[in-house]
Amino acid sequence: MTPPVATPAGRSAGAFARAAWAAIALPFVAIVMALVVGALIILVSELLVTGRPFQPTLPLTAYQALFVGAFGSFDGLVATFVNAAPLVLGGLSVAIGFKAGLFNIGAQGQFLMGALGSVMAGVAVATWPPFLAIPIAVAAGLLAGAIMGFIPGILKALSGAHEVVTTIMLNYIAVGVLAALVSGPLKVPRSPSPVTYDVGNAAYPIILGRDGHLGILVALAGVAIIWWLLYRTTWGFEIRTVGANPEAARYAGMHPRAVIAFTMTLCGMLAGLAGTGVLLGVSHSMTSSFGTTVGFDSIAVALLARSNPVGIIFAAILFGAMRAGAGLMQIQAQIPVELVDVVQATILLFLVASPVLRALFRLRGVQTELGSTDTITRTYGGEAVR
Amino acid sequence: MTHPADSSLSPGLSPTLAPALAMRGITKRYPGVVANDQISLDVRPGEIHALLGENGAGKTTLMNVLYGLARPDEGQILLDGQPVRIEDPADAIARGINMVHQHFMLVPVLSVAENILLGEETMANPIFLDRNEAHRRIVELGRRFGFEIDPDVKVGSLSVGWQQRVEILKALYRRARILVLDEPTAVLTPQETEEIFAVLRRLAQDGHSIVFISHKLYEVLEIADRITVIRRGKVVGERIPTETNEDDLAELMVGREVQLTVDRGISHPAGVVLEVDGLRVKDDRGNEVVRGVDLEVRAGEIFGIAGVAGNGQDELVEAIVGLRRPAGGRVSLGGTDVTGRSPRAMNEAGVAYVPADRHRFGLVLAFPLADNLVLTSYYRRPYSRGILRDDAAILRDAEKTIERFDIRTPSATVKAGTLSGGNQQKAIVAREFGREIQLLVLDQPTRGLDVGSIEFIHRQAIDKRNAGTALLLVSAELDEILEMSDRIGVMYRGTIVAVMDGRTADKNEVGLLMATGGAEHGADATEGRTA
Amino acid sequence: MIRRLQPALVALASLAVVAGCTGGGASPSPSAPAATTSPSTPASVAPTATPAPSSNLKIGVVTDIGTLDDKNFNEYSYKGAVAGAADIGAATPPSIVPKDQSEYATDIQSFVSQGYNIIVTVGFNLAGPTTTAAHDNPNIWFIGVDQSPICVDTTGKLDTTFACKGDAKTLLPKYISLQFAEDQAGYLAGIVAAAESKTGVIGAIGGTTLCQPCNRYINGYIEGAQAQNPSVKVKVAYVTHDFSNAAFNDPVGGKNFAQSFISTNKPDVLFQVAGKTGNGVLDAACAAKIYGIGVDVDQYLSYPNADPCIITSAEKHLQSAVESAIKGIAAGTAVGGDNRFDATNDGIGISPITNVTLASDVQTKINDALAAMKAGTLNTCPNSTCNNVAKSTP
Repeated sequence: MTPPVATPAGRSAGAFARAAWAAIALPFVAIVMALVVGALIILVSELLVTGRPFQPTLPLTAYQALFVGAFGSFDGLVATFVNAAPLVLGGLSVAIGFKAGLFNIGAQGQFLMGALGSVMAGVAVATWPPFLAIPIAVAAGLLAGAIMGFIPGILKALSGAHEVVTTIMLNYIAVGVLAALVSGPLKVPRSPSPVTYDVGNAAYPIILGRDGHLGILVALAGVAIIWWLLYRTTWGFEIRTVGANPEAARYAGMHPRAVIAFTMTLCGMLAGLAGTGVLLGVSHSMTSSFGTTVGFDSIAVALLARSNPVGIIFAAILFGAMRAGAGLMQIQAQIPVELVDVVQATILLFLVASPVLRALFRLRGVQTELGSTDTITRTYGGEAVR
Repeated sequence: MTHPADSSLSPGLSPTLAPALAMRGITKRYPGVVANDQISLDVRPGEIHALLGENGAGKTTLMNVLYGLARPDEGQILLDGQPVRIEDPADAIARGINMVHQHFMLVPVLSVAENILLGEETMANPIFLDRNEAHRRIVELGRRFGFEIDPDVKVGSLSVGWQQRVEILKALYRRARILVLDEPTAVLTPQETEEIFAVLRRLAQDGHSIVFISHKLYEVLEIADRITVIRRGKVVGERIPTETNEDDLAELMVGREVQLTVDRGISHPAGVVLEVDGLRVKDDRGNEVVRGVDLEVRAGEIFGIAGVAGNGQDELVEAIVGLRRPAGGRVSLGGTDVTGRSPRAMNEAGVAYVPADRHRFGLVLAFPLADNLVLTSYYRRPYSRGILRDDAAILRDAEKTIERFDIRTPSATVKAGTLSGGNQQKAIVAREFGREIQLLVLDQPTRGLDVGSIEFIHRQAIDKRNAGTALLLVSAELDEILEMSDRIGVMYRGTIVAVMDGRTADKNEVGLLMATGGAEHGADATEGRTA
Repeated sequence: MIRRLQPALVALASLAVVAGCTGGGASPSPSAPAATTSPSTPASVAPTATPAPSSNLKIGVVTDIGTLDDKNFNEYSYKGAVAGAADIGAATPPSIVPKDQSEYATDIQSFVSQGYNIIVTVGFNLAGPTTTAAHDNPNIWFIGVDQSPICVDTTGKLDTTFACKGDAKTLLPKYISLQFAEDQAGYLAGIVAAAESKTGVIGAIGGTTLCQPCNRYINGYIEGAQAQNPSVKVKVAYVTHDFSNAAFNDPVGGKNFAQSFISTNKPDVLFQVAGKTGNGVLDAACAAKIYGIGVDVDQYLSYPNADPCIITSAEKHLQSAVESAIKGIAAGTAVGGDNRFDATNDGIGISPITNVTLASDVQTKINDALAAMKAGTLNTCPNSTCNNVAKSTP
């Protein structure tokens, strides 16, 4: 509906609150609903199990432990941030893809290759002074991730090969390459199990508490840079235009193919940087089972944040907190860690089924004001480039 | 004054009979906007009631309220005198209210019958669905209202006009009593329009009430029994066609005196700006749809291309502006060969382009208006330095442009998709006209627009011509071509079959050329490019 | 105990769309599903049902990535911890299952900051984090399953170059690493296989070449078979070369793999060293009417599907090893460093013979070999070569 009457340019506080609610209502309701579903699953599972007293408060115990584990102590808080950092970068990777109308399922492979790149470089420069070693290892991670992103990008630009297919394939390739290198040429010869050397001086310094490494700052810087790129530069404008309307982008004189190749490369760099952060910040060396879920959780983070760079911080903290608190939850409530998976997946299910949620909670105002989802899967099935 | 119940067969003559539909004091507010302000509307049984208003006047909101898509803040709806509360479209349908949308809600791969039965209650239990009975009813309904239809034919293979009939049949099959048609003729040829009008008249005679939403004055005068005009959310007048005329309605609609035909004045053509030589272009499926077009457009003249839609006009235009690579031939601009140059190169060479499909090419609906206003110049000063955007400059210029071109919008930062069609087109025109250009390509610049917007765009185009710009105008509306063009080329099956003087061209002659391509092409003409 | 919730939750989790994509098990063990082979308190006893603790030691378990009921390293290590806790009257241990390699350290830290006294960590992937934690927390006992050798530098810190200059036993006196002589169990199984083979061709299928315990099993198997019959041919193949699901968690893939292995190599006895994947190997053996040999636990009991053709299983007593380590700590007899479980301390063995009757001389040979292992006169792993990837005999 077109407003025939112009309103004053400035927005009242009430309007701002409405806009803010419109932006977060859906994720918020989805999270609450997912926690409710998680609680029900705990209760039902309890009923199915014989031979122990029924504890109606068990879900509360579990969630309390989850919360305390994640936020209840300084160490817990730091662990939450450490867990969130790679999810922020991975989430940005997926989100910037969404902005360009690309579905980057390949964050996982890019993550692994980024980590692999930085462990190879990091081991090589492990004895150099940190101010040299760290940038070299980071650059290697960025480069490796960029290559993993550039491949599906250029394939799509040149032949129209759908990035969902190519990135899934590349994920398998990444796992294979990583396993082969870590158990082969990169393996410490004397080690009984496949593990690389330590990255030594290339490791991210600890800046917060016992485990809080530089990667937290890197992730925040990533958000700032991506936000700036998307909304303050002509490149970002081109990315968003190609995602929102590739035909209009051509009309406007942009080059959708180049933008797609560039954006996928950027996706790869971001996911690669996530891998770099885990490697240089946490594990310092690589085993063949390195990094199992970050790449996939990143998709969830981007969806939950509706591809908003700032929202990604909060979505990543939520997911990071659930991982950080999972330990205490398992200790105190003896709830298996799979509950966290269930809650995370349920959040996504509710988001995917958001029309249901809207109807259920009469989020009518929300519906009309959320215009950003339309860019998420624009090129799905259809062909963006001609 | 009392009439027997069957007097509803005489439309418009039963003022005291309870209206089939009455909307009383409907008010609907959106943040910052009153879309409907105390609107009242009575539709009698057997009446064709036109709802006339500019795009954005509030017609669609009012119908959304009626159809249960929006909840009114004030006011009530009465059906046969009984107040009702319409919860959602399903509820509206159950109460006999049906809407035929501008964009048809049909599934192309399903048959006519399947489309009609889709969503019907009986489909919930397909075992007991009597297909034969359904087919029989569809055929019978069609006959009753003057057309023969095969229920088994796939909807995708039907022409637009027939698809519309399927939509109407769908409504009738659901026993609709009140039929709302939203701009039903926007997609139809004049012939199809006449045919559908005949159907509507039959429906009215049969006692159905019809709400006919339009902004085309002559159509409204032709079909409606009564006309309600709304402007900026308010009812500004009610008319009976016999007691009004186009000028009166236009003034009511726009709120000021409107010149329905623009005085184009005298052109002073100078040197050739655009020269097209033997241009051949393929469409997306690889068929050659432009088959050797020659034309030239001079500075200070409007060259109009008339033709039935789908005769290669879109591809021709896209090839000229750089969006489509020609398969052969030459395009030169001011004497320089520019064949196959990129859209940006053409843009920088001084070519402006208003595309036919503003949603596909012209705008990014999800972006703010300000961004759309710099869609083709975002990368240049003052809107950016290097890769850095200058948002302040973009906004500042956007606000100037909005004022200069009278784009009705709450602000420069609202999403383009929230603007009405007319204002969206104004935004494109503002972007393309608002700079130094030597060639202006207009492809269907006024399609789907209201009179006020059409007048505005035509005036801007004439101004550009008078300033010495070369204009290439493509339109399927013959009236527009005749009214605007200094020279007219008729396009038929990928070639320009005739070029004539715009002042002396005869409407019938041009129409015949459009339909047949001239004597040598025979009578199979209207098929367009199906070859 | 909510442990039983796990199957339900796991099922739900796998229904979940995206979170379901959480990578394959990277479990380092070739262990197979099994019923318990030593008496222990079932894992499903609620904490409230435990007798009043006579020990206030707090025991926690950090498993490897995967699930707690993986019929594998995670499960038997945990059961051992539960049994050990019951033996000493401590509270039933909670467990943490990490989702990600990067969580190992924080999960161990969770128990540290909750004041736990004994932390069991499972699998060689946790060797590094456990070593570091042991160095940082000298008052806490750590039991590492299959983390030998504990490799530290001269200050007791984790040595990532594996120079291993420091003496872990003195530098980290409360870090116990449990290692098993799988080669001895494999040797015994090899004797049985060679004795029961009529064609003189026997086979072994490992989960992945990266799994050293698998290698030890199979190399021991080859040694044992050749000791029994010097002309026997042993065909060896590995399902994969990485830690993907295919290695230990894919019975269907295992069956397919074994079918083509059998049709190519025509063995008449087949030894599986591939966890759940290996269960498919046993299925294929039964279907091909040849004999199968199970691994880790008595699979005649734990995997009844293969009962028609299993003749024995090569066992390592993971559960009892963890249990006895805990008991040792409580009793004050525990010693840090690499703790080897072999024939001398009943850490390995083979299961009772089923489906066939061993000739008495074969049984004698087995008894002699076991005795020689205990006496230290039989080395089934000369120069540690049994850690290398096993190869078919020429």
